Amino acid sequence: MATATLVSAGTKARVEQGRGIRPSGWTGFLFIAPNLLGVIAFTLIPLISVLVLAFTDWNLVSGIGGITFNGLGNFVAIARDPGFWHAIGLTLVYVVVSVPLTVILGLGLGIALNRPLPGRAVLRAIFFLPYIVNVVAVGMTWLMLMNPKAGLVNQVLDVFGIRPGWFASSHWALPALIVMAIWGGVGYCSLIYLSALQDAPRQLYEAADIDGASAWAKFRVITWPSLLPTTIFLLVTLIIGASQGFGLIALITAGGPGDATTTISYYMYQTGFQFYRFGYASAIGLVTFVGVLVLTLFTWRAQRGRALND
Amino acid sequence: MGAGLAAAVVPGCSGGGGGRSEALQVWGGVPAASGPADVVKAFQQKFPQYKVEYTRFVNDDRGNLKLDTALQGGVDIDVYFTYSQGAMALRAGSGLAADLTDRVRADPELQVYLDTEKPRSYIDNGKVKALATAREPFFVLFNEKLRQRAGVELPHAWTIDEFRATARKLTTDKTVGVYTVPDVARIALGPNYWYAGDRSNFGDPHFEQGFRLGREMIADGTAFPWTEVLSRHLDAYQQNAFLGEEFHLWSTAPFNLRYLYDAKKYPHDFKVAFAPSPTVDGKDWNGGSFSNFIMINPKSPKFEAAWAFVKFWLTEGATPMLKGGKMPALGNVTDDQIVSGMLGKEPEKYFDLDSFRRVVLTSEPKLATDTRLTGFPEITLAVKQQRDLCWIGEKDPGAAIREVRRLADAAIARNERRP
Repeated sequence: MATATLVSAGTKARVEQGRGIRPSGWTGFLFIAPNLLGVIAFTLIPLISVLVLAFTDWNLVSGIGGITFNGLGNFVAIARDPGFWHAIGLTLVYVVVSVPLTVILGLGLGIALNRPLPGRAVLRAIFFLPYIVNVVAVGMTWLMLMNPKAGLVNQVLDVFGIRPGWFASSHWALPALIVMAIWGGVGYCSLIYLSALQDAPRQLYEAADIDGASAWAKFRVITWPSLLPTTIFLLVTLIIGASQGFGLIALITAGGPGDATTTISYYMYQTGFQFYRFGYASAIGLVTFVGVLVLTLFTWRAQRGRALND
Repeated sequence: MGAGLAAAVVPGCSGGGGGRSEALQVWGGVPAASGPADVVKAFQQKFPQYKVEYTRFVNDDRGNLKLDTALQGGVDIDVYFTYSQGAMALRAGSGLAADLTDRVRADPELQVYLDTEKPRSYIDNGKVKALATAREPFFVLFNEKLRQRAGVELPHAWTIDEFRATARKLTTDKTVGVYTVPDVARIALGPNYWYAGDRSNFGDPHFEQGFRLGREMIADGTAFPWTEVLSRHLDAYQQNAFLGEEFHLWSTAPFNLRYLYDAKKYPHDFKVAFAPSPTVDGKDWNGGSFSNFIMINPKSPKFEAAWAFVKFWLTEGATPMLKGGKMPALGNVTDDQIVSGMLGKEPEKYFDLDSFRRVVLTSEPKLATDTRLTGFPEITLAVKQQRDLCWIGEKDPGAAIREVRRLADAAIARNERRP
């Protein structure tokens, strides 16, 4: 009883003491304030601005007073804009080709690098390097490598009688960008897969070995299901990233030749920052956001369903 | 650069969004060391009551956006430059340029800025909003070493067909005759050549003629392969290929002369001679224009100082800009100043001065300054995209021009509809 009283009194004292010195809720906010301010300034306000501007005709230069609301006018115009649909088509090709190939090659590389190879740590670093190299350096290097006349790539391909025009051809420019995207993403994927492979349940492999399961059976029944959450994560992040692909396009092709590499991000940039049609560009941004969201949810749900079924 | 001037010329942002600086804030796209610093210095010597800070913005999409947002956001800018016609229409039409009509009208030295036949100013709804500080005529440069080796005469006047024939004579196994063809339609049609009434003018056959000529010369090896141009981003670095003697003839403008008088920085061992732009069907419009428009921010509380600076630049201060190839719009410089300003310290060593005097100093090229600018950025992009497709051999010149026409008509219609 005395003990209980003491405990109770002690607890009460601590609570009171805690109340006395306990930082108010504001202290917590102070800790996260720098980040929060950044999010508000660079994400929230632009996001709300885009939402509002999507329903306006605005050229930036005319200032806030020059904003004219035009209802759904921009969205009607988007529906009739062949440039927009062309850009959407190119973006879909870019996403649908580059993302699965990046994931598949990343998985293969991850599994290979998970084996006891000599110099494995160095190899892992080398394959991850493209992901962290400056985009300008990457762009300029590939530009030289893929020079149709003097580039190393074509000198090699020449042996097989192939000489693509790469960035100087409207047929080859997008494939060239896809090759670059895959090259840049495979190392990243392999590293993520590597960490997932470390978590794969060892005992199941040992049991499978005892049962005499083949390598393919072990991959299908143990490895793949354990990697599915990672695969979903990679697919979602890569789809979002590829849909927003801009840097290399701006640096290397500027959307060309013609409009052969004008993906939706670059089309939005042209519309906003070259033509100063900020209202229309915001509407394109909004439509693209919804499209990417749907694509991501679709991928997520489909893969999640498979994961649960497995 | 003296300490005072160092304080007057600042890189990056100045003024900030907050309080106004006492100094006059001038934003331009030319690096301070390429002339503006000396203009500022001379202005401050003549008007010690004024201090000037020059801020350089890079004259590309991002740099212009930075200037526009700064102007719109109330950053302390009193005077600024506009280099692209598309941006000019937007700025002048959106209240970002003060009305200078009365000042120009009242000044006898500036009366030429009211001329609408050979416009040196941008007039928006009858109001003078921007004044050209420079004239940049196009000409054709010859690599003299290669020209003499090929035994080709330096033309004093020539047609576009003779231009093509010359390029053919100059083409060898290792070098190409010409970088690219001059703008045939511009030479034939002059200013505002993209517009006809309320539609585009791309139905004019000279546009297709220009595309076809370029394509044929690329195909027969007398013009630089456009696949190379695209894959080496050569359009922005033409001077490197000219200095590297990859081609002989270069249709260009004075701002590129700065690469030719500094052999330490840009090594080469040949002289350069000048020829006028070729004529097309007897028409001789020059592809160059009056340019580098100076404007005053209507929000500036220092209008008098701003106008003093603008007038100084136009009437007496622009000589230092010659080193970057900017010839004063009013022509108020001597021939000697132009030679020493534009051709460096040893003009005889790197240039054929006779041809320079003939082509640049004594002739009066008909500059084609555009004043109609509806949908200008959209049309610019359409022309570039279709030209690229045509010149890499993927699209027939006729089809390419028809696509330009379709896109230009749409851009004009859309922009005419806007409030």
